[in-house]
Amino acid sequence: MSKPYFISVFDDEQKLLAGIKAAKDKNVKIDEIYTPYPMHEVIEAMGKKSRFTFAAFVYGFLAVISILSFLYYTSVIDWPINYGGKPTSAFPSFIIITLVLTIASITILSLFTFSIRAKIYPGKKYIMPDLRATDDKFIMVFEEENSGSKFEDLNKMLMDCGAEEVYKKEL
Amino acid sequence: MYKAEVRGPLILGNKSYSQITSDIIAPIDNKAPLWWKIAMGVSLTAAAWGVVALYMTVRYGLGTWAVNNSVAWGWEIINFVWWIGIGHAGTAFSIFLLILRQKWRTSINRAAEAMTVFAVICAAIFPAIHMGRVWLAFYIFPYPNTRGPLWVNFNSPLFWDFIAISAYLLISASFWYFGMVPDFASIRDKATSKVKKAIYGLLAFGWTGSTKEWLRYEGLSYILGGIAAVLVVSVHSIVSTDFASSVIPGWHTTLFPPYFVVGAIFSGFAMVMTLMITIRKFYNLQQYVTDSHLNAIARILVFISLIMGTAYATEVFIAWYGGNEYEMFTFFHNRITGTYTFMFWAMITCNAIIPQLMWSKKIRSNITVLFIISLIINVGMWYERYNIVVTSLAKDYLPSSWTVYHPTWVEVGIYIGTLGIFLTGVLFFFRYIPMIAISEVKSVLKPTSVTKYTKNH
Repeated sequence: MSKPYFISVFDDEQKLLAGIKAAKDKNVKIDEIYTPYPMHEVIEAMGKKSRFTFAAFVYGFLAVISILSFLYYTSVIDWPINYGGKPTSAFPSFIIITLVLTIASITILSLFTFSIRAKIYPGKKYIMPDLRATDDKFIMVFEEENSGSKFEDLNKMLMDCGAEEVYKKEL
Repeated sequence: MYKAEVRGPLILGNKSYSQITSDIIAPIDNKAPLWWKIAMGVSLTAAAWGVVALYMTVRYGLGTWAVNNSVAWGWEIINFVWWIGIGHAGTAFSIFLLILRQKWRTSINRAAEAMTVFAVICAAIFPAIHMGRVWLAFYIFPYPNTRGPLWVNFNSPLFWDFIAISAYLLISASFWYFGMVPDFASIRDKATSKVKKAIYGLLAFGWTGSTKEWLRYEGLSYILGGIAAVLVVSVHSIVSTDFASSVIPGWHTTLFPPYFVVGAIFSGFAMVMTLMITIRKFYNLQQYVTDSHLNAIARILVFISLIMGTAYATEVFIAWYGGNEYEMFTFFHNRITGTYTFMFWAMITCNAIIPQLMWSKKIRSNITVLFIISLIINVGMWYERYNIVVTSLAKDYLPSSWTVYHPTWVEVGIYIGTLGIFLTGVLFFFRYIPMIAISEVKSVLKPTSVTKYTKNH
């Protein structure tokens, strides 16, 4: 079901940052911000943090253990082969293959994590508040119900910060 | 406008964000130019020859090649190593420069990554067909099978190679693709035709540019970047151990891994230079790929050329200093002099001597000369691989097994075919994909975004 939203449009990152600050100062809840390129200040202002790197470390850790166990199982337990009298459990020569397979595992798992957490996948139905967000505008969106502010007040506050326009839209 | 302290402005012409989008997606909106159609025709013809040559190989077997008991690795392995080398630049460019926070990479990384993906696909063809019975290539996958179960040899560099190249292709293709997702969304939202909106909409995976998406996007870039940097070094080191772990004179040396990795980055950067000069010339993107960008690549090439020269000199020196007569023979009587003299000196001239011209600022600012030098380096790197593969095998320990190797038309055909496949891929890239990373270029347009961005890391 669609809900009413206030959409504010900025043409400059500094003005957007001023808008965010003003909204925070007045305790107006920002629903989401859309930018044409990644902006760390905006991500921080939204209070978003990612544990992606930690997840990648866990993937790598589990991958190393699984791969080494697999190599040990195949080369020592399941089908040991005598290569010119060399030991079957040849740990040093397992290192490179473990490294490469770990990298492959982290890649695949990270791609899935990204797809699931950022909800980015083929055929996804998306809602784009303002199409200009992928071109040249910085879009800040407030949900009417949760924002705790009236349109007129919000409009004045954001226009004072340099917003290009503020409008109401059902999303 | 962001102005790097050393390098000057990264993008010229006081662009607005919207202009950047329009400039970069213009080739996708406009009709294909005549040169593009002609180039596509030539590339497809070359690729078709390759397909015929591949058919001959699969239909009649490796007897259609000139490889024999002595020179068991011919043009196929030369070309495999050459393509893999070229395929190194994309990752080296994007990832090393990403990790080192080099902002000037933003105009170049997309094309370099595209090149990587196409080059690695071309490279992968060679070891596959070299197996002889390519339809049994799946035997190399380590899976529980009905042959014992007989597992693959996990101690073999040849197997490592297979895994490393597959992983490299996976990681560079995904790094490239996910880098393009925000740009596909830009095209989707600017598109006027329904078909284009639908196609780029599908490719954009529902991207909206929200903070939630950017946060994870950045995370993914750094994770893939960090681990792929390790892969850049390991892939070509592994390729070099295919050679170095044997006992063939000229191959059996500990210099090989760093020598191969540096050589790969050298040829890759040269190909990046070739490609970027082409892009800026044919698509009028001089304000994005500035003279300063080409100057920076030229400086890197001079530096790597010095390392290459040192590596060549080290090989020859160690052959003499080590006192091994077979090594002495290989280097002094079979490379510096002997049947393959031309290949050796072509390698030295193209890779170690001619790039030194780029010490001169005049040469570095002459785009035509830079273009020619970049092509010369790629030819030189091909000769380097010829030197390594053929000279050592043609005359090893036993004079009774000495032979001279010349490729057949089938072998030449496969090589020409891969050139065709590569160029076809690159031409499709020129036509349908934003050649420069739109969102990344926007992020370096204003000084505030860059300083804050850098400070946070």
